[in-house]
Amino acid sequence: MTEIRYEQWEPVIGLEIHIQLNTKSKLFASSPNRFGDEPNTNISEVCTGQPGALPVLNKEAVKKAVQFGCAVGARVAHFSKFDRKSYFYPDSPRNFQITQFDQPIVVGGTITCDVGGAIKHFQINRAHLEDDAGMLKHFTNFAGVDYNRAGVPLIEVVSEPCIHTPKEAVAYAMAVKAIAEYLDISDCNMEEGSLRIDANISVRLKGEKTLRTKVEIKNMNSFHNMEMALESEIRRQCRAYTLKEEIKKGTYRFDLEKKETVLMREKEDADDYRYFPEPDLVPIVLTDAYIEEIKKSLPELPAERFKRYITELHLPEYSANQLVIDKALCNYFEESLKICPNAKSLCNWLTVEFTGRLKDSDKSLSDFSGNIARLVNLIDKGTITGRIAKDVADEMVLNPDKNPEEIVAANPDYQPMHDTSDIEPIIDQVLLENPSSIADYRAGKTKAFGFLVGQVMKLSKGKASPSVVNDLLTKKLDLSL
Amino acid sequence: MSKFNQEDLDRLTKLSRIACNEAEKKVLFEKLSNVLVYIEQLEQIDTTGVKECNHVLETISNVMREDIVGETLPRELFLENAPSHVGGMIRVPTVIKANH
Amino acid sequence: MHEIPAHVLTARFKKGELSAKEIVEASLKRMALHDPKIGAFLSVLTERALKKAEEIDKKRDQGKSLGKLAGVPIALKDNIHVKGELTTCGSKFLSNYKAPFDATVTRLLEEEDAIIIGKTNMDEFAMGSSTENSAYHNTKNPWDLNSTPGGSSGGSAAAVAARFCPIALGSDTGGSIRQPAAFSGVVGFKPTYGRVSRYGLVAFASSLDQIGPLTTNVQDAALVMEILGKHCEKDSTSLPLPWRAHNEHTKELRIGVPKKFLEDLPSETRENFEHSLKILGAQIVDIDLGILKNSIAVYYIIASAEASTNLARFDGIRYGIRSPRAKTLEEVYDFSKQEGFGTEVKQRILLGTYVLSSGYQDAYYRKAQKVRTLIIEQFRKAFLQCDLVAMPTSPFTAFPLNSIADPVQMYLQDIYTICANIAGLPAVSVPSGFSKDKKPFGLQLIGPLLKDAEVLHAAHIFEKTANLQLTPNL
Repeated sequence: MTEIRYEQWEPVIGLEIHIQLNTKSKLFASSPNRFGDEPNTNISEVCTGQPGALPVLNKEAVKKAVQFGCAVGARVAHFSKFDRKSYFYPDSPRNFQITQFDQPIVVGGTITCDVGGAIKHFQINRAHLEDDAGMLKHFTNFAGVDYNRAGVPLIEVVSEPCIHTPKEAVAYAMAVKAIAEYLDISDCNMEEGSLRIDANISVRLKGEKTLRTKVEIKNMNSFHNMEMALESEIRRQCRAYTLKEEIKKGTYRFDLEKKETVLMREKEDADDYRYFPEPDLVPIVLTDAYIEEIKKSLPELPAERFKRYITELHLPEYSANQLVIDKALCNYFEESLKICPNAKSLCNWLTVEFTGRLKDSDKSLSDFSGNIARLVNLIDKGTITGRIAKDVADEMVLNPDKNPEEIVAANPDYQPMHDTSDIEPIIDQVLLENPSSIADYRAGKTKAFGFLVGQVMKLSKGKASPSVVNDLLTKKLDLSL
Repeated sequence: MSKFNQEDLDRLTKLSRIACNEAEKKVLFEKLSNVLVYIEQLEQIDTTGVKECNHVLETISNVMREDIVGETLPRELFLENAPSHVGGMIRVPTVIKANH
Repeated sequence: MHEIPAHVLTARFKKGELSAKEIVEASLKRMALHDPKIGAFLSVLTERALKKAEEIDKKRDQGKSLGKLAGVPIALKDNIHVKGELTTCGSKFLSNYKAPFDATVTRLLEEEDAIIIGKTNMDEFAMGSSTENSAYHNTKNPWDLNSTPGGSSGGSAAAVAARFCPIALGSDTGGSIRQPAAFSGVVGFKPTYGRVSRYGLVAFASSLDQIGPLTTNVQDAALVMEILGKHCEKDSTSLPLPWRAHNEHTKELRIGVPKKFLEDLPSETRENFEHSLKILGAQIVDIDLGILKNSIAVYYIIASAEASTNLARFDGIRYGIRSPRAKTLEEVYDFSKQEGFGTEVKQRILLGTYVLSSGYQDAYYRKAQKVRTLIIEQFRKAFLQCDLVAMPTSPFTAFPLNSIADPVQMYLQDIYTICANIAGLPAVSVPSGFSKDKKPFGLQLIGPLLKDAEVLHAAHIFEKTANLQLTPNL
């Protein structure tokens, strides 16, 4: 059996990310841009391709495209125009899409992201505006077409083929998503289809200069699936080349059951889109002043926030990245910081404790308002111990509308034990039960102290104030010396 | 300029999605060939350095509208003209080949 | 009544001398009597027109203010939408298609209390120069029932010539208003590109199409332009300028005539043209428009390219006739188009696809767009030496039905009109006399961009001086 030497091969990946813009109306029609409504209730004569209809450009869509361009450090074109792209399919109301072919609104740009602990930069080739197609719903022996989505504004972000591993691809895509979310230009919901990723992938021997035949993978509807799809395709191509088989152009999708890429159709040479300038639309001419204005009014972006978290809040890189990459989580963190200044502790409670607990519940962070911050404050004040706080957190998840102070007040077991007279007997008991530890401590093994503290906490059901325990225990141990 | 042939016609009818029987092909081939010979005269004209005219009204740009939801086409009106519809959607035979 | 120009008709209506009901009934009566032999109309909107007439009569009786065309019956070419009525574009494909919205021009006319009386016959999807490409029937020229009225707005031209209504709207992509106007002895005006909204006009060639009036006299055409020549926010190519009426300051007109380009004029046409120039009485300047000999090639490449994509939407999926033979999705496209489109339309779609296709686009489409720039340039230079350019509207008078089979020969009908579409210039055809066999000639005046009012003014002067008797005997 021929052995496949995967390490000899270098994958070359390019991503095309379609981002649906969250404008109120569509790109060229004034019908509503909304997801999930009854079929064909958000349509107009323009987006159903009625004869006699004409496109008129949505200025907010242009603004959002420019915002994206500025956010990734791209060149925003002073002059850009639209083109017709011809192809026949039922979800296309006119059988041509209005897109930007040779003069897109955004050119170049860089995506910076954290890939397994290392900071990497990836180049964007271009981003352009185009209108989305409708949706085809398949039934047993017919299909239904819904044009609600037809005409929704998209920006298509095309990367250079500079991505070389599935993990890089995921990091890149997550970074693009984060930027779009921070700019509030899209809902970025992969399940609803407001963020869609297609990949072009080929492999070549390490050191090889030219690119080999690439294959397209579509319909990867989650980052996890994308990673698996890319891994599967890389293996397939490496195996094929090793066995001296040919890789043919084609479009693949990721089969969730088989957990591998499956051919959808081979590339036909008859895909001649016949691009030519759209005569019903006039060009977009942008001034330096307009572009500057947009640049100046950009909100804080993920990369800037990441820097701030490292340099000002001294968060560890991994945690900072976790926060930054998820806009909802990060905004919650920012809001919570206003209530609780302990960034590190807050970060931990958010990214570890609560994220873990919320995974299996039907609740989300937004249900908790400022309560998580208040919980951390209680710990810092010494009102409760870290141990108790975990129990309080469990209760909070069950009853999100209750604030931590209420929960603590309602349960005597959570009441912290500050009183020396309450703690002393417990310490005495522990010391009595653990003579060997006392001996270890006296012998200089400091770990024994920690063990004893742990026993005290256990016996006090976590309620004993750590600082009081420390003081008292030290006194008693030293006293008996 | 290569001469227009039957293969070209077949490619065009495929791209335009217009089915043609033999008789129709014959007629179209003849008409198209004549027209193509005629339009080839443009080859003779020197257009070095000449810009393409994409818009007769060169100076108009940035025609945009505010992002406001306007009149929609009511579904009943849309479906009134539909050759076939079901459940509020346009009905078509199942798609065999995959999409774009 | 049928002889009364629109601007007089509306005045008399407003004065109370005539009721809208009377006016509309008279039109309908005349149409019922004579249209069976002419075939100008595809649909007559009897109910709608009578209802509107009633409303307008009531409006007048109540002393409310009335629009500029109050009480005037108007016909619209059947590629212009009237909400709720059929828009067939002269094609089988759309034989059951009801317009889901009003064209801007429809709305503007109705706001001025005009009464839409019917939709007129046309070459299928506006592709043709004789209305013989209509999938429904031929329209006959009221001056000679064996001849065509021209095309593609043949129905509109015939309706006005036959005095069914004083005004009709047509669309002009390569001469489709002016040439039938010349053939039918009426006035036909194509505005500057972008002057009139294309919203609600079924697109043929987006960068060339314009809607314009066909009337019995120039003053009516100017009145219609005053109403239609407005910026429309639903059309991105609409001029962001208000209509500018002609300022009364008349200076000595310089008329440019491209003598070399016109050297092959048939003798009768030449005679009429030179006579017309004398009537104009203006200073004549010889100008160079040599590049126009390539205008038909440029036009057919650009128009077909745009049309091939504009007509792609007709596929039997969302509207129009879906082929009953179609079992698979592929067949829905292939058979619906096979059955729905006529030969001329198919040919132009295929041509358009060809000139845009990979490997050919540079040599054809992009080349044509460059020559287009040269044409615009040559006109610009010519207008430095003259105020208006004059040419015959057509080399010939109305030709007999079924007499032209060769597509190129048919295309050559538009040799003098096409250039105005390519350059986006305003152009009018005004009746200039008759041939020996009593068929009308037309004089064409072309102006620089945005000089619509000037073109109409010159046509008005010519019309007054020529003083022709222009009603055919039906």
